[in-house]
Amino acid sequence: MEPIASHENWRNCFSEVAPGLLLFARQWVQSAADAEDIVQDAFVKFWRRKHDIDNRGLLYAAVRSLALDFIRRDARRARREATVLAETEPVIEPHFELEDDTQSALAAAVESLPRDQREVLVLKIWNDLTFSEIAGALGISQNTAASRYRYALTNLKKTLQPQ
Amino acid sequence: MNDFSELERELRKLRPAQPSPFLSERVGEALEDSRRSAAADPTSSWWRFKEATRNWWSLGFGLAAAAILILFAAVTMERRHEHQQTVAQSSPAPETQPVPLGTERSISPSRFVPAGGSNVVYNTRDEGLHFADGSERPVRRVRYNTRQTWRWHNPETGASLRVSYPSEEIVLIPVSGQ
Repeated sequence: MEPIASHENWRNCFSEVAPGLLLFARQWVQSAADAEDIVQDAFVKFWRRKHDIDNRGLLYAAVRSLALDFIRRDARRARREATVLAETEPVIEPHFELEDDTQSALAAAVESLPRDQREVLVLKIWNDLTFSEIAGALGISQNTAASRYRYALTNLKKTLQPQ
Repeated sequence: MNDFSELERELRKLRPAQPSPFLSERVGEALEDSRRSAAADPTSSWWRFKEATRNWWSLGFGLAAAAILILFAAVTMERRHEHQQTVAQSSPAPETQPVPLGTERSISPSRFVPAGGSNVVYNTRDEGLHFADGSERPVRRVRYNTRQTWRWHNPETGASLRVSYPSEEIVLIPVSGQ
């Protein structure tokens, strides 16, 4: 992968990372529009500061930080999100383009994971981050990131096992 | 050990939803706006101007101070020289007797005499109680960081020499229980 910020055509870079970033942002905010605002702000900041691929974790850290700020800033919205979460089934829903029932079951299993495990899974599987980058983005140790990933896969396997 | 490779393959087949087509346009506009505002931001250009003028002022003051010091030194040297000439003219004619070698050396123009010194303590750190060299009585160890300066002066030529160096001193203060 080329360095993001030194790439002349930001559109190529953005189209490459945007779906994963959006999925990551939606770990905290329900609304796709809000998630897009967060991704936009984070990417513009990242691009303007000319960070390269070695600091890719910073882009995800920025998304996470902006998402948490967003929730704190708008308490009313946060309460509404909480109400929605309480009323609907599992926690915050990542969005996938589903092709069949198997994928629907898999997506539902992912959505039922605890948030800390799902965060790591989203960064590892759909954003191709290393454990070191995940640790930097989430502010945890590399070992914690790896063990959360392992727990996530174990839990998924259990959920998907035929009864 | 669990093998998760099959599960990971299945997970990677799941494709995250694509962002709306407008998002890319919005990012483009935001990048363009930030570029434009950075170029035309009057506060940033004023800040750059201020920084530049501040640097020029600093340089100017530095040069002026250096020039004043040089002038002062030159005037001092000139006065001293004039004073020595006056003393020489008003003193009686020297006796014509051979001067011993040691005396000749003592009035040599390269002779410097100590003119003073200073020892400035700029940091003190209390390192707590210690038992020095197996002693049963505790001592408090205090570390001083100082800058020592020594000055010499040559009365014949008016030249002066100054040596300054940092030093560290550790003082052990006996502690007595009460």
